[in-house]
Amino acid sequence: MVQYGGDEVSALVLDIGTSTLRAGYAGDDTPKAIIPTSYGFLPVARDGDVAMTEADTEADTAPPRDESKLFIGQHGPSVWRENMQIGNPMSEGLITDFKMIPYMVRHALKNVLNCKAEEHPILVTEPAWNTPANRERMAEIMFEEFQVPAFYIANTGVLNAFAAGKGSALVIDIGHSTASVTPVVDGFVLRKGLVHSALPQLVYAHAKHTLITASHNHPPIQLFSHQLIANKTPVESGAGPRFTLREDRFAKTTPSLASHYENREVEEWIQSVAGVLDQGWNDQAASQRPVRHYEFPTGFNTYFGPERFQVGELFFAHSRELVASNPHLPRTIPALISQALMACDPDMRQVLMGNVVLAGGGSLFAGLGERLNNELVRNFPHVKIHAPGNPAERRYGSWLGGSILASLGTFHQLWISREEWQEHGKPIVAQRCK
Amino acid sequence: MSGASAADVRSILSLPSPSTPAPSQSKKAATPLARKPSGISRELYSLIGPSAPTLVAQVAKPRLKQKPNLGGGGSSKWVWRSFKNSARTDGLELGHWVKANTDPDAEYPFARYNAKSPDYSYSEDEYTKFLEDPEWTKEETDYLFNLIREYDSRFYIVNDRYDFPGGPPRSMEDLKDRYYSVCRKLIRNRTGDEASKPQLLSNFHFDKEREVMRKKYLLSLENRTPKELAEEEALYIELKRIEQNEKHFKQDRDRLLRTLLGAESGLPDLPIDEDGPLGDPKKRRRGIPSELDSPATPSSSLFASAIPRRAQSAKSAAEDALHCIQRTDGIMPAGTTTKTAHQAAYLRSFRVPYPKAAVAARVTQISGELGISLSRLVMPTRDTLMAHESLLETITSLVELKKVADRVDQEIRTAKMRLGMRESEPPAEGPMDVDEDGQAPDTPGEGRAHSVVSTRSGRSRKQTGTTNDRRSMSVSSVDTSATSTTRAGTKRQKLG
Repeated sequence: MVQYGGDEVSALVLDIGTSTLRAGYAGDDTPKAIIPTSYGFLPVARDGDVAMTEADTEADTAPPRDESKLFIGQHGPSVWRENMQIGNPMSEGLITDFKMIPYMVRHALKNVLNCKAEEHPILVTEPAWNTPANRERMAEIMFEEFQVPAFYIANTGVLNAFAAGKGSALVIDIGHSTASVTPVVDGFVLRKGLVHSALPQLVYAHAKHTLITASHNHPPIQLFSHQLIANKTPVESGAGPRFTLREDRFAKTTPSLASHYENREVEEWIQSVAGVLDQGWNDQAASQRPVRHYEFPTGFNTYFGPERFQVGELFFAHSRELVASNPHLPRTIPALISQALMACDPDMRQVLMGNVVLAGGGSLFAGLGERLNNELVRNFPHVKIHAPGNPAERRYGSWLGGSILASLGTFHQLWISREEWQEHGKPIVAQRCK
Repeated sequence: MSGASAADVRSILSLPSPSTPAPSQSKKAATPLARKPSGISRELYSLIGPSAPTLVAQVAKPRLKQKPNLGGGGSSKWVWRSFKNSARTDGLELGHWVKANTDPDAEYPFARYNAKSPDYSYSEDEYTKFLEDPEWTKEETDYLFNLIREYDSRFYIVNDRYDFPGGPPRSMEDLKDRYYSVCRKLIRNRTGDEASKPQLLSNFHFDKEREVMRKKYLLSLENRTPKELAEEEALYIELKRIEQNEKHFKQDRDRLLRTLLGAESGLPDLPIDEDGPLGDPKKRRRGIPSELDSPATPSSSLFASAIPRRAQSAKSAAEDALHCIQRTDGIMPAGTTTKTAHQAAYLRSFRVPYPKAAVAARVTQISGELGISLSRLVMPTRDTLMAHESLLETITSLVELKKVADRVDQEIRTAKMRLGMRESEPPAEGPMDVDEDGQAPDTPGEGRAHSVVSTRSGRSRKQTGTTNDRRSMSVSSVDTSATSTTRAGTKRQKLG
């Protein structure tokens, strides 16, 4: 135990992302609690009606907010409820709605992990561009609402590097809403080299646009989710769908829930069909790749050819028309990387390029790793990309790094204890978590 | 009782029982006996032999698989115990599982890793006395020292976080220079261990100019355009070529000297090659223009031997002509009937000549242009084979001539370029020399940076070095020849 440098103090690790919130015990290799960050809520006027619904979570979800009922967790936003609205406390990777965070954390710790927060030190992650006010707020929530004995807030970039077993690395983290490139040296982020952009959002928007507009091989596709469909009959590939909507539900679906469902459908389509060409964009190469079949919940099904690669291409290059139409496009990954490197010391560049770590669920895009490798090898002499083959390790890389960090014997001197919090107050966070 | 034996299996499958017992069975029985049991002397055992089952049974232990020893003495008890970390300044108590028999009051084992690097601080008095600098205020110096302490002298991070309000922008070299110079001054002016002072001072040595220069070269190395890269590559190839020419020139001169003066030349009799006095002469010959004189002479003796040597009777000759038979003698010269001279019968298609590996690609290309496949001779008759060989030789000689022509062309071009350069500019430092300067600052602890630099220019630098050597060698060939004489001399001694 001592020879591996590990000493487990049953710490908890909490990693809040735009798509999911991950929580688990330090020392584990995957988080035990993975719940969606989106939550459902009912405006207060409908409160009385909803008490009778099958919502299993809201009874335990502590005192609900006065204006709404909350639906958090696996059975939260994905279950259809009358007049339920969908919210997400994150934007651009940062927490913007701190009122919701205690409910979600409590759900994860109490209902899923079944543990008492006041007994475990807790390590929370933050993106590198987090604001000091945000991290202090997080410390406050943990100490004041959850009464944790000790707290630490660590950077996702650093943790991703640790999960890859590296102290210095160039971490390329492609998440649900944000893609970032973080130079990490000796476990510290080089803030001048840190860059991020809302590239994944552009990719999702483009995918949605591709689906809902007519093209040569499909009419505009209706993105109804299973929850809204009463029945359907199988149809030929490419033929118009035959299904009946659940009119009773459809009428009472709020716009935010409808768009949530649509986004889920787009996401599923991307995950199963979309990809990236490994050697730059090439119409011929794209048409030579095999087509993929996909069936939507409405029963409409068709084969997707080159358009499935156009979606992924947005990670690496924007077409000229797109740039012309929108001057404020999020920067592509190669642009982010070169910008990050430019801001680093020339001595450091070689080290960073030899330790590129690819992380985040968005990096699981089919073929993205090879494409990135090809792009980098073309421009830099010595490139080595560390991209875990295990999807869980990529998606939960920052959680895994936190799990490693919080179970190290030498780390335990860094915790901010309750005592210190009470003595020094908020400034201790910036002082300890550099 | 026991499981089904082999005989049972056989009877089930209705196989005939083997006449001899299964070899595996007899082997199994023999092996334990063959081994000498411990406790009997070798002599005694050889007397009794394996035919003493009673004794063996008594002495040999039953060979069972050993049970693994799992810690022994039962399971140890683990307890959840809270502990204090002496590396912390507060009284935080965390808990962990430990073995019950460990000392509960022992120091936390990881606390000893909380090592602080020694840092330098100065008093107000010291600052005013030694450390004044027009570029730096005391506040900014304090700020710098605090940052360095906070980040344990990780200058990359210090530089990243450095943001002194109101101060001028500082590069990493500025920061390092200030920090190290302050440390040096403090060491020099403080009374302390005089013996270790020079060592300490050299630890804090920092040459800002050199560092800045190095970074600049590193940047320029990174910012090379593809065109510049190509130019560099071309220069490198040119360098190699010049070097090779120099070598050939030297060899030719040596040979000439030897021919003209013989032993008086002072040169060894054997041609000295890179790989020792017995080097492959074929290798040496390759690529020398003077050796290309006889491309048309057939190299193989295959068809020379085809000339009929034996007088044939008129009848058989006529019959042969009728049936297109050609008689060949072996290539053995008259009088030698030894075994080695004998040539076995062979298929002619086995002896289809192939182009030399060095020019094979070009030769096949040219033959491809002619519409002839060299790799496959459909009907390897004597005539076709002969034609094939002559074609091959012609192409080879063509290729080699072309090569020579190209080289001469290139030489002319470079000579012209050099001439032009000499006319246009006075003797100036070549880019190589500048590059070498860039290499020079190689302070300890910058090894990483050095490896960065040495990717390409390291190679070119090496090449510059070798050419210089070459030049000096060819100028004073007496020197080299002397050494080679001794080498050859020792060789002869060994032989004799």
